[in-house]
Amino acid sequence: MSNAYLADAAKRLAQAFIVILLAYVLTFVVVSILPGDPITNVLRDPQNGFSEDEIKAIIAAQGLDQPIPVQLWTSLSHFVIGDFGLSMRSSRPVATLIAEVLPSTLILASAAFAIALLLAMTIAYGTQFIPKQLGQGLLRGFPSFFLSVPNFVIGLMLIHVFGFQLGLFRVIAPNSFWATFFAAVALGIPVSARIAEVLIANLDKESEQEYAAVARGRGLTQMRLFAKHLLKPSSLPVVTVIALAIGELLGGSLITETVFGRTGIGSLVQRSVSTQDLPVLQAVVSLAAVVFVLVNLIADLVYPLLDPRVKLVDGPRERPSTADDSATAKSAAVTS
Amino acid sequence: MTLASFSSASRVTSIGRQTALRVAPTVALSFAVIAIVIAWSVAPSLFTGHSPIVGVPADKLLSPSTAHWFGTDHLGRDLYTRVVYGTASSVTSALIAVVIAAVAGGLIGLLAGFLGGRVDIVLARLVDVLLAIPNFLLAVIVVTALGFDTTNAAIATGVSAVAVFARVMRAEVIKTRQAIFVEAAFLLGGSRWHILLRHVLPNASRSVLPLAVLQFGLSILVIASLAFLGYGDPPPASDWGLLISIGKDYLKWPWLVYAPAFVTIATVLSVNRISRWLRKTD
Amino acid sequence: MAAQDRLTADTLTRAELIAPVPLRPLPLLRVDGLSVCYGPHEVVTNVGFELGRGESLALIGESGSGKSTIARAVLRLLPSGGHATGRVAFDGQEVLGISERGFRPLRGRAIGFVPQDPANSLNPVRTIGAQAQEAAALLDEADKAFRKQLILETFAEVGLDNPRRVYDSYPHQLSGGMLQRVLIGLAILPRPALLVADEPTSALDVTIQKRILDLLTRLQHDLKISLLLITHDLAIAAERANALVVLKDGVIHEAGRTASVFSSPESAYARKLRADVPALNPDRYAASRDRGFHAVKTGGGDTPKIDVGAVTKTFIVDGKTLTAVDDVSFIVPAGTTHALVGESGSGKTTAVRLLLGLEQPDTGTISVAGEQITGRSPEALRAAWRHLQLVYQNPFTSLDPTWTIERLVREPLDRFRVGTSKERVARVREALADVGLGGHLLSRKPGTLSGGQRQRVAIARALVLKPDVIVLDEPTSALDVSVQADIVEVLLSLQANLGLTYVFLSHDLALVRQLAHTVSVMHRGRIVEHGTVAEIFDNPQQPYTRSLLASIPSGIAGAAHLPQARLRLMATAD
Repeated sequence: MSNAYLADAAKRLAQAFIVILLAYVLTFVVVSILPGDPITNVLRDPQNGFSEDEIKAIIAAQGLDQPIPVQLWTSLSHFVIGDFGLSMRSSRPVATLIAEVLPSTLILASAAFAIALLLAMTIAYGTQFIPKQLGQGLLRGFPSFFLSVPNFVIGLMLIHVFGFQLGLFRVIAPNSFWATFFAAVALGIPVSARIAEVLIANLDKESEQEYAAVARGRGLTQMRLFAKHLLKPSSLPVVTVIALAIGELLGGSLITETVFGRTGIGSLVQRSVSTQDLPVLQAVVSLAAVVFVLVNLIADLVYPLLDPRVKLVDGPRERPSTADDSATAKSAAVTS
Repeated sequence: MTLASFSSASRVTSIGRQTALRVAPTVALSFAVIAIVIAWSVAPSLFTGHSPIVGVPADKLLSPSTAHWFGTDHLGRDLYTRVVYGTASSVTSALIAVVIAAVAGGLIGLLAGFLGGRVDIVLARLVDVLLAIPNFLLAVIVVTALGFDTTNAAIATGVSAVAVFARVMRAEVIKTRQAIFVEAAFLLGGSRWHILLRHVLPNASRSVLPLAVLQFGLSILVIASLAFLGYGDPPPASDWGLLISIGKDYLKWPWLVYAPAFVTIATVLSVNRISRWLRKTD
Repeated sequence: MAAQDRLTADTLTRAELIAPVPLRPLPLLRVDGLSVCYGPHEVVTNVGFELGRGESLALIGESGSGKSTIARAVLRLLPSGGHATGRVAFDGQEVLGISERGFRPLRGRAIGFVPQDPANSLNPVRTIGAQAQEAAALLDEADKAFRKQLILETFAEVGLDNPRRVYDSYPHQLSGGMLQRVLIGLAILPRPALLVADEPTSALDVTIQKRILDLLTRLQHDLKISLLLITHDLAIAAERANALVVLKDGVIHEAGRTASVFSSPESAYARKLRADVPALNPDRYAASRDRGFHAVKTGGGDTPKIDVGAVTKTFIVDGKTLTAVDDVSFIVPAGTTHALVGESGSGKTTAVRLLLGLEQPDTGTISVAGEQITGRSPEALRAAWRHLQLVYQNPFTSLDPTWTIERLVREPLDRFRVGTSKERVARVREALADVGLGGHLLSRKPGTLSGGQRQRVAIARALVLKPDVIVLDEPTSALDVSVQADIVEVLLSLQANLGLTYVFLSHDLALVRQLAHTVSVMHRGRIVEHGTVAEIFDNPQQPYTRSLLASIPSGIAGAAHLPQARLRLMATAD
């Protein structure tokens, strides 16, 4: 590991930190500046049953009587040292609220991620071995189909078929094994479709490369060609979509937890949205940004170690969302 | 000598024309689906005689039949009618989202890519921040701030997709800016703005069209999800996501979920197919 | 060999009919009635030829001739969608119809393949050694250490200086020439009977080209390998092969022994091809060129049109200083053509960017038509470009694909506000007519034009401002040889009629000889030699210039010392 690598890694770490802070500021700005004054409106909602004194106390405790830049500065300075503040609704520490529901979401998301990866690899690698006549097209159609299905529909279908019709699990016991499993399937399928799409596009691109034809001309079987030549270069770019996939899992958990009646980060967000509980929303968004940025950072730092062509110092890479990104990079590198 | 090159050129065009005429059947089907969806949203009353709001209580929860293609709901309203009447709101909100995302994102990407330097650094950081927040979470936060209704859900969906367009546009602009024909235009006396507007913008936008179509399909899904969580217009509106959300409480009568879901899926599938077709024919 | 017994009676009688020589040895490769389709488009039609053991045959043609498709069909490496019909017999065994499983044992072991573009022909994320082991695995040699020994020996055999370093390298760490040596090494490692080389040198610099071709010829003789060479270059083919097959649009136009096809071609197409190869016709345009040459001799009193004085330009790449152009000086008299010759990395492209003011030199001065280019403001440069224009190398990237031809050619007039809009339209038509294009193309877009037409449009664009000087950056290197000849004719007639001054960049010395008056040879940023065409070509002083000259294929060297061709060709008539 060279000095240039370490220096650049440090630079990226600083950039990541800035992005997280900005995400926090952005949420603050969106929620506290865009509308008129929803927070006091919610507090004054007679259903919430706060007395005028209580409302004043809450507003003072939250510093809501301060000018907005001061509010931002106060909450930001607390955020930097890991203090997320108090929930507006329950006056409990936000960190405690999140800690209570985080394990449930972590279990769901990691199970969903494992299912997504497994499914994506099965579909994508399957296209390399199943002949055209035997349903390769069907396999190739999977990703685009599942990207067209709303993920709550997948959840409802699973509940209908496996819960109601087959009686495999009961919706009232959302933490049972099968209920968790099917929730993870519902959450994982759209993510797997996205990963499979990237994988298939990369596999097709690599199979059309001249080196694949030359290797075939060297007498390699399809199996060896795939294992030795196509697998690594086509799978490497997937490392860079993993951060996006994890973001999607977090966003998707909002829906899936509602559909399957689970408690978790998603249901916490739902509750906080309906009561405009700004500190909680800010904490969750920042947490999501932290996860995204960290995963991305790790991917960026690991990538040059896996791919001999890529040097970290080349600057931030574009994630290969389209197949011709690498071509862009190449044409940019061509100078006389 | 010129004759030879002329004949080969005319062969190229004739091949191009042939492929243009021969559209894959799935693409034709997709266009047909989109045509129906557009017709539903423009003139829903032409496609159904029932009312989307007033039901016949005696006819509640009927299964699909020739009288009620998609069955009826818990208030005895014809579900097909409700889907047809919900189309306009579902489709226009997706359209609003795409326009916001494409215009704002396209502008950010164009400026960042063309001006470069500090402008690029600042805008790229902003895009990074937008990307760092999960799409759907961002949409939820924005719709929370704006207030719960379908138009706001559409705006929120558009905002959450700005980063995608900004990134693609920036990459395309940088690619085009380095193209030889741009330098050639510069040598032939073109000013910076002439090159930006006449050469870079048209070329960079070519790949934005398929993306916009793709985003249209995605927006339908995101808006349906927001409606499903209750962040859109409340009933008796009949946005597709809302219909599915209502249906989930009546899983014993599964068509209440499956029928609107089927329409949503068919629409999004068609849109995605057209997007892929556009990308290939370009 | 059991395969020989499988020869059917039918093929025997046909072979007998075609070749009534008793006990003639079985050809190693025999292609008969081969056609290849992509969907409804037939790209190769009814092609047949034979290649004997230890001999060499070249398939020659321009782009779209189907030559590479034939090679791929023989190797059974057609891209998906391609479908081949007919017969391909290798060593007497029919191989076109057999299963993939049945054909695989022949791959590598019996038929080796040297691809066109070495940079993309090795897996970028695996070491050379790992890929060489795949080739070595075909030898049925169990001992891995011994296999590695064989690989290193082969690398040495193909002229790689440091086999161990190459073995541990990734492809991107080696130069194009080294990669092509690696690929040739991998192809010959299992000692195949047939080597198919698909344009093995077209992606390489000229001096490297000659060395790679020499290597192929040497290996072919030493190892008694048959060579199927695919090339667009008639001179290279004639130099390296016993027999030639000339293809156009997927059909054989002429075929036969090299000596006869090359020296007295019978078909019109082969004759034109031969006439269009610059290396074989150095004095083709002597008459029109010499009119300008006269000006060089007599015009000594005038100020030169272009005066480049002691220009140096350095770049900083990866922290290292790279001197791209080092103390370069040359002058170009009005109405003449000055050629800058060099291989990739010679600095000629940077020199041209300096000349146009797209880069500023560190030291030195440049003036065009008496006006200083160096140190000008962007506005002043813009004024200079009215008299100084550039034609790019690749017409596929230098024209905006979203614009029509009319708009493209009119663009410079609009930008410089030349004349009224009516006059502009007239001048566009005039410029297009000057380059031999009709007005019916005006509303087309570049994508619907052929490469030659596009390059004419690019020249018309440069011409429409009526400049004095046009810089031509390898204007024909992306084009076929017959199209190149058309473009050269257009350029020479424009020079004769309008008195244009050209700066002509090229790596192709043969082409330079045809059309330039004075030449500067560039190597690693410096001009190593300069002079008139006659001085440089007839009496080169520098070793580098001599090696460049030696790498021009002459079309005669090779065939003479090869054994007399015994093979027969079945030129399929239609």
